[in-house]
Amino acid sequence: MTISVKKLATAVSASIALMAAGQAAAEIQIGIAGPMTGPVAQYGDMQFSGARMAIEQINANGGVMGEKLVGVEYDDVCDPKQAVTVANSLVNDGVRFVVGHLCSSSTQPASDIYEDEGVLMITPASTNPEITERGYELVFRTIGLDSMQGPVAGNYIASQNPKRVAIVHDKQQYGEGIATAVRDTLQAKGVEIAMFEGITAGDKDFSSLITKLKQADVDYVYYGGYHPELGLILRQARQADLDAKFMGPEGVGNKDINTIAGEAAEGLLVTLPPSFDEKAENQELVKAFQAKGEDPSGPFVLTSYTAVQLIADGIKQAGSSDPYEVAKALHSGTFQTPIGTVQYDEKGDMKSFEFVVYEWHSDGSKTPVN
Amino acid sequence: MQDLLYFSQQLINGLTIGSTYALIAIGYTMVYGIIGMINFAHGEIYMIGAYTALIAITGLATLGITWLPLVLIVALICAMIVASSMGWAVERVAYRPVRGKHRLIPLISAIGMSIFLQNYVHLAQGSRNIGFPALIQGGFLFGSPDTFQMSLSYMQITIFITTLICMSALTLFISRSRIGRACRAVSQDLGMANLLGIDTNRIISATFVIGAALAAVAGLLLGMYYGSIDPLFGFIAGLKAFTAAVLGGIGSIPGAMLGGLILGVAESLTSGYLSGEYKDVVSFSLLILILLFKPTGLLGKPEVEKI
Repeated sequence: MTISVKKLATAVSASIALMAAGQAAAEIQIGIAGPMTGPVAQYGDMQFSGARMAIEQINANGGVMGEKLVGVEYDDVCDPKQAVTVANSLVNDGVRFVVGHLCSSSTQPASDIYEDEGVLMITPASTNPEITERGYELVFRTIGLDSMQGPVAGNYIASQNPKRVAIVHDKQQYGEGIATAVRDTLQAKGVEIAMFEGITAGDKDFSSLITKLKQADVDYVYYGGYHPELGLILRQARQADLDAKFMGPEGVGNKDINTIAGEAAEGLLVTLPPSFDEKAENQELVKAFQAKGEDPSGPFVLTSYTAVQLIADGIKQAGSSDPYEVAKALHSGTFQTPIGTVQYDEKGDMKSFEFVVYEWHSDGSKTPVN
Repeated sequence: MQDLLYFSQQLINGLTIGSTYALIAIGYTMVYGIIGMINFAHGEIYMIGAYTALIAITGLATLGITWLPLVLIVALICAMIVASSMGWAVERVAYRPVRGKHRLIPLISAIGMSIFLQNYVHLAQGSRNIGFPALIQGGFLFGSPDTFQMSLSYMQITIFITTLICMSALTLFISRSRIGRACRAVSQDLGMANLLGIDTNRIISATFVIGAALAAVAGLLLGMYYGSIDPLFGFIAGLKAFTAAVLGGIGSIPGAMLGGLILGVAESLTSGYLSGEYKDVVSFSLLILILLFKPTGLLGKPEVEKI
């Protein structure tokens, strides 16, 4: 090898700079950051599919102020470390608007970078309250908060008059946050919490936990976390004859839980955003997804679509593609979107967002519970 | 009575996991005993064994073959063959060329191999969790139905029996067979064994093959027991099995068995009586304690400086 590394590096960075300069001329870049690979990639699929559709449709209608939107996609693997790398490279690439990230634990560290570097971020999926608690100007979401989802789950469990409830979480920001909210709601209603315990995400053996649940004689188990672990807990609980009703947040509500838990997934309770794809006013959009062979029913498809639309609407209303101006427009405006009328409070949270309790079935379908 | 049942249940849970740790730990300990290196790619071999078994089971199901004993045996044989060839190939490609060099070099080569295999499966099979069919269902229940019932599933019994058979076969093989005797000779003194006409390369390959085959057995058993597999699950299991091997005394086969069982029971009792959050804390503290007082592990022999 005779080419020096230094020379090579200069050549590469020069060509990257050229490419970036070429792109920046007449386009508005929208970064889409979420998991393309890794254990929760199926949620990423929803996010990418929704955002791509919005960009496509906005461009088909003439773009934003004469400029085309260009989606730039980044894979954060739902890993906080990777999310920081992604956020930095996104800033380096000159992207000023981001739809993402998906996992709360990725969104949190990435949002620090976006806020510092003047990048506007709308997360379509992160529900941890902490994310908007830090007085950031450029952080928004198109989804509710754990503090909204937790009480819905807690109130539902309390309304069933359970004897004893166990709460298990995966020690991650999302899971533990939501589990804590459920616990607080139940305690406020005077329900006995028999157990509040963490497991390690990635673990496969839950026999000890299940034995403990049996011993504690609980009739409801709330799990804060994602489907890979809950799927195994359901399956192993069924094998050990644990007779309890399980409930989880929207992170467990996808069809992959059926491939892991099989029959044991029947009757699982899940709090989910309402099915936006079933709303009458969204039927045209649903058809557009179906025409592309994509499924718009996932919980994050239309929230991601909305995130892109809000960026576009914000730019139009501000009359500028400066993220700070757009943020001001988003904070003050009222927007009609597929997920309903959106208004933001000063923290960047939607003023109203509703969660519904569904019962999950072993064939992957779900029915609302009243 | 209640408490006793609860304790026995946690003990059974621990022994089940522990015996599979032991099966995987054998691979670490045998390789270390013979060439003094830590084969970090061993966890990945175990993961590949589980994937092969799953592919075999799915393949048989599409052919319409569902007779359980046949399915299990075919899956087991496929997994063992693929994992063994993988174990053999890894040694041939990544370890033999660097054998005899500085100790760090094979270690780094092993870590590289582990990363390579993990990502290879990521690409080939996808990164999602894949459900493993529950082939062996049901079990025994003890205790009255209105209070705590202890359950011993057929799956757990299968794990105990299979582990027992594998361990006894391995012990017999090492103590009685020609290759077993050669293995022991090579582990005592590789150079001398070579001088006495033992084909040491073949013996080293054999160790990798045996370790990989046992890991494949563990892969099939744990895949069925847990219910799902993913490309990363070899890493965690490998780490635990490695801990078990060090706990019992690395290089010693009975040590690996004992270490596996102790680790499994410690984990399960910690989750059962303290909290699942402390599971790893307790097992690794145990490891540190044992190494403080007995640096060679429970059954390890002190290394004699060879001149």
